[in-house]
Amino acid sequence: MQIEVKCSCGAENCPEWAIVELQGVVEVQPSHRDGIQNLEIGRLCRPSSEEKYTLTIGYHELSGTKVTLKKPLAVLKKVKRTDDGDHGDGSSSGKVELDVVGVIRHKILFKTRPKALISKPPEPAVKERASSTSSKN
Amino acid sequence: MEQPHSILTGAEAVLNIQPNSSLSVTYDTLFGSSHNHMLLELHDEMLPDLLHQSITLRGEPNEDVVLCTLSKTYAVKFVGTSNSVFLIPPSRHQFTQNGQQSVASVIEISPGNMELIETAPRLDRLKTLLAQNPYSSMEALQADDMEDDSKESKMGLCTWHDLVNKIQASDDELRNGLEALSAVEIDGFWRIVDEKYMGEILTMLLQNSILNDWSLDKLDEDEVVTSLVTDGFPHKLAYHCLHVYGSKVDEARGKSCVWTLDERRVCVHFARQVLGVGKMKLERFMEMWLKKIPDGMNANLEMLKGEVLTEKVGIEMWVRGFSVASLPSNPAERFSVLFRERPKWESKDLQHYIRDLKVPGLSSEGLLLKYTRRTQPTQDAAPVFTAR
Repeated sequence: MQIEVKCSCGAENCPEWAIVELQGVVEVQPSHRDGIQNLEIGRLCRPSSEEKYTLTIGYHELSGTKVTLKKPLAVLKKVKRTDDGDHGDGSSSGKVELDVVGVIRHKILFKTRPKALISKPPEPAVKERASSTSSKN
Repeated sequence: MEQPHSILTGAEAVLNIQPNSSLSVTYDTLFGSSHNHMLLELHDEMLPDLLHQSITLRGEPNEDVVLCTLSKTYAVKFVGTSNSVFLIPPSRHQFTQNGQQSVASVIEISPGNMELIETAPRLDRLKTLLAQNPYSSMEALQADDMEDDSKESKMGLCTWHDLVNKIQASDDELRNGLEALSAVEIDGFWRIVDEKYMGEILTMLLQNSILNDWSLDKLDEDEVVTSLVTDGFPHKLAYHCLHVYGSKVDEARGKSCVWTLDERRVCVHFARQVLGVGKMKLERFMEMWLKKIPDGMNANLEMLKGEVLTEKVGIEMWVRGFSVASLPSNPAERFSVLFRERPKWESKDLQHYIRDLKVPGLSSEGLLLKYTRRTQPTQDAAPVFTAR
């Protein structure tokens, strides 16, 4: 079978997406697990004019840089077409297509382990659990 | 923040974050609902094809999927990551609701991305598929008798649409594959034509050219096709015969094209016909072969490289049909068949049986290095290749 990969926005106008990548896993505090929509993961900050960033999650701070990807990534989304095309093969099931909904050229990569902040901010909603430093929580 | 209207959100905010500022990264309201996005690593040369909507994924559910552009085939490999990859789409709203906060919301955590590796088209299945039901003289006769296209006779036949759904190759590679098999589209179905039947048409064509005093390198398409149709061959097949054994020399004349028969292809056809019965002594073969060659053509053994194997038995030379076209196109399988045929190959023979193998990123020397062992008994002896 054949699945078409389409870009309905026209590759040139394809909207750019972004990636924020970090090591390990971000874990939501048990009290928020039922509704994480709109929950803040952390604050992304660019402290100077350099392309250096920090991401503060709970009371951990990560430092990272902006990276241009060697090869761009297409963001694909599965689309089911319910109309059966004129292929005459009698298949009535929906045709699956992949729509290119975005393109990613850069990511902000935090590849170091988190640094614990001394002063505790009030009531962190989420905490970062990455390797041994999490034992301080 | 003096100008709330200029506040960016979503991916734009992340990518254009200003010095000495910050933004809030949150879970999107749609996070966790079944929005499965996949990340596909693009090669630069794919962008035009993507724009022209000509990229497809091809394969049956039990096969490893490949991605095809118009001209190339790529293997798809999923590369997972243990990092947390937060995907941030462009914002759905032009401005933030509260006008104060710059927010980027994460729609999904991506488990990894798909990488593409250029690969050779997987065309062996095409051969098997088309060989199941070749077009033969029987069918040509039946088509005359009954006009109704009974459904049963179309079973197992493939249209172009069927082929792109079944064969893991790009459109261009599939077209070349069909050409290499001398396939022809008859009533919307791609077919290979039974070799015996093709031979009958060619023989008739050659006879007609003697009767009508045509020159084999200046055949008028209309005349040739009309005469073959009078002799009872379908129009499409008559034209196909010219296409298989000849080439167009003059297309610009507007009306009827001029064709020239290809000496090598015609001679190879008759060699295969002679050797259809099995192996024979070289002298006997030459005698029978040359008898069949039309006047004005010259046959020589050089033409049969990759079609016929010669071997010494005692003091006698024997020949046997062994066509490169009948071999698998997967390099590992190809070499395995070759070494089953002959445990030792000399380069002058072997090269003709691997000349059509194309593996992206591997030269023919590379192929030999990978799949064979090269030995050279003495410095000036010809190298011999054996299985690894």
